[in-house]
Amino acid sequence: MTSTPPSRTRRLARTRGRSVLALAAVAALTLSACGQGGSGGSGGDAFASDFEGEELNLLMNASHEGAGEWLSEQFKEETGVTVNVTTVPYDEIASQLTLDQQSGANVYDVSAPWYVSLGDLAADGTIQPLTEYVEANDDIDVDDFIPSIWEPYSQVDGETYGLPFDGDIHALFYNTEILERNGFDAPPETWDEYAEQVATITENESSDGVYGAAVFGEQSPMILGASFANRLAGFGGEFLDENGAPVVNSPEAVASLEALEDIWDDALPTPAETDFGAGNSAWFAGKVAFIENWTDLGVRSQDPESGSEVVDNWGVTYLPRAEAGEDPRASLVAGFSWVVTGNTEKTELAQQFIEWAASSQVNADLLTALPPTGIDPNRVSSLEDETYGEEFPELQEVNRSTLDGALAWPTGENATEAAQILTDELAAYLAGQRGTAQETLDGVQQEWESLLGNG
Amino acid sequence: MATADPAVRTDKVLEEVTGGPQHDAGKESRDSGPAGTAPASGRTTSGRKSRGRTVPGRVQRALFVSPSVLTLLVLAAYPLVFIASAAFTESSLGKPFQEFVGTANVETALASAGIRGSLLLGTGYAFAVALASTLLGVITAVALHRSLHSGPVVRTALLLPMIVPPVVVGILFSFVFSPSGGLLDTLISRFTPASGTYAILSDTTWAIVGVGIADVWEWTPLVVLLVFTALLGQDPEITEAARLDGARGVRLFGHITLPAVAGTIAAAFLIRLILAFKVFDLVYVMTSGGPGSSTLVPAYLIWRTALQSFDVGMAATITLLLAVIVTVVTLPVFLIVRRLRHG
Repeated sequence: MTSTPPSRTRRLARTRGRSVLALAAVAALTLSACGQGGSGGSGGDAFASDFEGEELNLLMNASHEGAGEWLSEQFKEETGVTVNVTTVPYDEIASQLTLDQQSGANVYDVSAPWYVSLGDLAADGTIQPLTEYVEANDDIDVDDFIPSIWEPYSQVDGETYGLPFDGDIHALFYNTEILERNGFDAPPETWDEYAEQVATITENESSDGVYGAAVFGEQSPMILGASFANRLAGFGGEFLDENGAPVVNSPEAVASLEALEDIWDDALPTPAETDFGAGNSAWFAGKVAFIENWTDLGVRSQDPESGSEVVDNWGVTYLPRAEAGEDPRASLVAGFSWVVTGNTEKTELAQQFIEWAASSQVNADLLTALPPTGIDPNRVSSLEDETYGEEFPELQEVNRSTLDGALAWPTGENATEAAQILTDELAAYLAGQRGTAQETLDGVQQEWESLLGNG
Repeated sequence: MATADPAVRTDKVLEEVTGGPQHDAGKESRDSGPAGTAPASGRTTSGRKSRGRTVPGRVQRALFVSPSVLTLLVLAAYPLVFIASAAFTESSLGKPFQEFVGTANVETALASAGIRGSLLLGTGYAFAVALASTLLGVITAVALHRSLHSGPVVRTALLLPMIVPPVVVGILFSFVFSPSGGLLDTLISRFTPASGTYAILSDTTWAIVGVGIADVWEWTPLVVLLVFTALLGQDPEITEAARLDGARGVRLFGHITLPAVAGTIAAAFLIRLILAFKVFDLVYVMTSGGPGSSTLVPAYLIWRTALQSFDVGMAATITLLLAVIVTVVTLPVFLIVRRLRHG
């Protein structure tokens, strides 16, 4: 599937559509609240203003600041509850939350950490189980969550600890002008084709400061780890087998690391220093032909107010695969889950908030909100939302790849450390400090087995 | 010629301020006998009376020092006990001290090539950076001292790097070393257009050098400040006498100036060495410990182990090992400093 973005002329219609949708959402929620208030459902009813005048403290990823503001405003409007949003870098949410709870400060009631950290947070008692609440509350509609997202984003050893917030899969974005200049009429289907196109473009245009691809390679699980996971999904590999045992040195994993190495020298200099800021800046400035990024990049690429210089000059497609014609497979590289903190005294309100924030309507609204919120679909219904489909049909199509099984990171206890170990070894290999790809991943496998067990 | 002994000078100043010779409490105490109480006033005659009067005095003294003791306990003893306890237990970020594990953490740390490599890297880095800073700092301080007429503006400007927050220094040097239009890349490509791209911070050999350059830039002014102050405190009459005897240039510096400020230079080196062992911010901003483990210095490794991997027990163990290394490494330097300052 390849396609081009919506034109500028549709933006006005989109804004009008969103306003109508927002009004409809408020009306629907109000009606829903009235209905629930009468039923006296478990845990009270936030929309009936049971908690009016109260405050809730929320800790979330800095790149979700826009979403946090949106949620805060909407929740205040609907319930009278003030949500105080605190943002920290994505890789500091878990530690901030743990220190807050362990120290007894207990400032935060709700948070949205990286789903990989759920196991560690649960083991330390930093977050509380939601199993009973979720099972007793049909309104949460667990079956509507995208199945491949629901389990890793919520479950730890059979207990529910979170509700999916931000789906977050990567897709392959391409600059149509650069491809055209270099004689490519379609983006690559396989990782080999991808490496070939990247090499050609870099060779032709690097003297003008244009490169084949921006490759996220900074030594962080959510950056370099994500680039590896994209390839692992494409090659059909897994982090863990069906029994939960590590299989990170499989032939697919080795092929993934070698595929990453293939484009390392042709990417925007230098991948090891390319984080989100550097990669996205090069993309928005039209300096790279390809970038593997979250699907919400499309919303910002089409928004000149976000500083994009590639409006109407980009396309998006599935991540490449091992062989042409294979089904696309999503990689859940950096999703976030709603959690309720272990020591909060506002459990009921916190549960109401995350139920609302993880609802289909809120997720659908966040997908198309402006300024862009950075949120991706987490439910089947929001993925198929009419407005989302009208405004970003290509993003909707790419996100549908999550419906057929996606690659997820391990999520149990020590999963965060396991992700870091893999990332360190990937970086060491790509920096030339290790032997072969197989030897490197054999070392990781050994460490993962001692950390995560053998299933 | 004025006396060079600072203690004597201090006494003179105190005499001027107080209008009389200074009270030598130590001497008086020695003269007063073992109890150290009676002769100060000559009012106590019996041991019983003496004890009766000194108990409130002791309480008073204890009350006076108690804030300092409490502060010391809170700021020094508590963290030390916490670290030591965590190092010998299974401790996660959210649940410290879960189970006593004896020396298991220490054994694991010593068996880990990654941790050993990090401690070695940190030690080498600290010495290299401290030496470079001290050398550059002394040269700059001497140059400043010889051009006092250059004015306070130049001297203040030289201290600016030290005022800049370390995170800003890291960002600044990330831009300088950026292979995509960074200062270094721009200069090199301007003078050698076909030389390709230079990515200092992505190179396994040069990344630590890049971090070190930023570190030296940031902290050399501290050495400049210390040495410059020592140079200002030199007795001009000694220098003048040496000049009259024909000493000039390098000879004057080597035989007169350098011995006079050697103790300060050694102390500056020691401070710089300890600061370099603690480098974290620059690594965090510039390289995240990479590429690979090229810049994985101990402070960064400890932070990552505790706050990213949640393994507080192992982080505490690495901290203890680092403390041992810092002590072993700095002890000889301490002795040299003491000898130079008192010699």
